[in-house]
Amino acid sequence: MSDHKQVDERYYQLMHELQSLDFVLVELSLYLNTHRDDMNAIQQFNEYSGRRWQVACEFEAHYGPLLQYGHSYSGYPWQWPESPWPWQV
Amino acid sequence: MHSQTRVYYPYVSPFDPCPPMRVKTYVVPPNLFIQFQPPGLPQFSAPEALRHGVLWPALYSPYEGRDRKGRERK
Repeated sequence: MSDHKQVDERYYQLMHELQSLDFVLVELSLYLNTHRDDMNAIQQFNEYSGRRWQVACEFEAHYGPLLQYGHSYSGYPWQWPESPWPWQV
Repeated sequence: MHSQTRVYYPYVSPFDPCPPMRVKTYVVPPNLFIQFQPPGLPQFSAPEALRHGVLWPALYSPYEGRDRKGRERK
């Protein structure tokens, strides 16, 4: 039996939510580049980026850092090389 | 045929080495018809937007694609 820890259902839920929030943020950023005075879109963008930050924090609390070079905290021992990597999941 | 797909009929020569493709299609996405996106268009929810690949239904352009034999894949 491999000694790697298997990820649970919550991992996939959080990852899916993170991806959908990120996609909305990308779309809104591109939209706002050409619609700088759209107040509703800006409010929505800020709301989504706040939610994205919370989801990322919860994810990192359970499953380790998402980003490297100081953009995410790490537990002990250094968690970055731990599997599973995103393409293995 | 989805409303965004249009067809054209290429010329078929008697000397064509391969079986001719008499009908070919191309996609006409909605962004061709919207000069400047108006603010306040209705939006998909986040998971739906991820699945559709666009945030605003008005700009959604489905691409069914083709299977290996060139038939349209629904």
